[in-house]
Amino acid sequence: MSALAHYARLWLACARYSVVRTMMFRGDFIMWSLVELFWMGVNLAVIGVVYQHTDSIAGWGPWEMTLIVGTSMLVQRLLMGLFWTNLFEMGRNVRSGHFDFFLAQPGNPLFMVSTRKLDLDGFLNVPVAVAVIAYAAHRIGLDPTPAVIGAYALLVLLGLAIHYATLLIFISLVFWIQSARGIEGGYFGFNEFSRLPREALKGVAAVVMVYALPLVIVSNFPARTLIHGIEPLNIAWLAAAAALWLTVAVTVFNRGLRRYASASS
Amino acid sequence: MFAVLAKYRHVFLVGLQNNLVYRWNFAIRAGFSLLHLAFVFILWGAAYAGQTDIGGFDLRETLTYFVTVLILQFFISAMNEDYEVSEEIRNGLINQFLLKPVSYFGYRLTLFASARAVSGTLALVPILLALPLIAPHLSLPPLGWTWLAAVPALILSAFIQFTIAYCFGLLTFWFLEIQSFIILSLAVETILGGQVFPLDLLPAWLHDLSSYLPYYYMMYFPAAMLTGRITEPALAVQGLGMQLFWAVALFAICRLLWTRGLRRHTAVGG
Repeated sequence: MSALAHYARLWLACARYSVVRTMMFRGDFIMWSLVELFWMGVNLAVIGVVYQHTDSIAGWGPWEMTLIVGTSMLVQRLLMGLFWTNLFEMGRNVRSGHFDFFLAQPGNPLFMVSTRKLDLDGFLNVPVAVAVIAYAAHRIGLDPTPAVIGAYALLVLLGLAIHYATLLIFISLVFWIQSARGIEGGYFGFNEFSRLPREALKGVAAVVMVYALPLVIVSNFPARTLIHGIEPLNIAWLAAAAALWLTVAVTVFNRGLRRYASASS
Repeated sequence: MFAVLAKYRHVFLVGLQNNLVYRWNFAIRAGFSLLHLAFVFILWGAAYAGQTDIGGFDLRETLTYFVTVLILQFFISAMNEDYEVSEEIRNGLINQFLLKPVSYFGYRLTLFASARAVSGTLALVPILLALPLIAPHLSLPPLGWTWLAAVPALILSAFIQFTIAYCFGLLTFWFLEIQSFIILSLAVETILGGQVFPLDLLPAWLHDLSSYLPYYYMMYFPAAMLTGRITEPALAVQGLGMQLFWAVALFAICRLLWTRGLRRHTAVGG
């Protein structure tokens, strides 16, 4: 319990530092908020253009599809707000040797690496993503109960854990290769599948992207919960996937850590 | 003249060596781009279910467009050039170019050419490996004048891509952090450059409007020429004219930013 309190205090100290730092660079904060907003607009524009030429994608209408994309955006905004900058910088720090700084800090290296900074611009767009989801739900005519909303929130958090694990696995490759330059793109490559309805994937693609890797279900299960109500099997499935992928990610990180030998440059 | 060429030939060769150090990063990046291709195939395959035509093109023609865009990205897109220019200004590495008979623009353009030679070649490896799987879903138009006209279009596209990245890099003279500008522009480019859907699927008024912007000529225009989406000679000539206009205009903006930026620049140390 005291360890938990210790880490909570560390996290709060880092969060306070991040807020103060963000307020020192307000122009930067506004620009990054706009960047995030624009990228969400890109995702919505794709749906808008595709549905101008078709009525349905794998049985999902435009607003159901917006629900999937909105959920995917929500999970990604949370990831951006909480972890993205930290893990992105880890890729650079391992190469430059600045990673030593995290090893010398009073806590678990993975915790210290993952939580040093908060990106408020990512958080600023969480309400925008929620608004997109709420509007899509309104257009479909949904009226979710508090229990359904609670289940939705739980699934989003499990999705966040899966996204974090995926990103950590990709960035941890920097322990083995020259640099993480371009590697982060792998995360975005995989993340694209979270904007697809599960029914659109057939054959090998379904086996890989639905069953082997939990990429599609991260957004589909929460969206399905809002539309069809709570499905316990889906919650259990996503929870098991989150536990599995977090274990894999932590193992890869720890293996990488053993290879780390600092740098002189 | 030959002395100048020899100078930049050496820069090109050094650039090749530098980029080959990161060969695995380019290869992995190209490998990951196949994921994007899989996403595109699944999304558009589902969108075409029950219909043979979207925007006047069948599924195979649309998929051919996306594969072409993917390949072109590795040959003509600016990737890290903006950040590299920014870093060199911030770290004072541009100081040496102020004292030597080397144009910084020419130096960076040569490095850009060498980087794309490496990234383009490496990107072909995973794409060639995936070709047996994707080839049955593609339909290239027969070789014709559009392929010939696509050559200058590709060169001008690469130049436009580079000059925009270079301009963003030069903003470092005024701003401490330029990454947000770059990613904001990338979002606009992703939409108006035709990277997430062919621009002919846009409403006509928006398509016409986009054809006046440089983004249209960064990727969509050469890809549309290569994949048979632009087939009228008049449109091709008009497009090449607009490309030339933007290439010259952006070069002029680069010159202006460089001249004005240097007035603010302070070279410190030896």
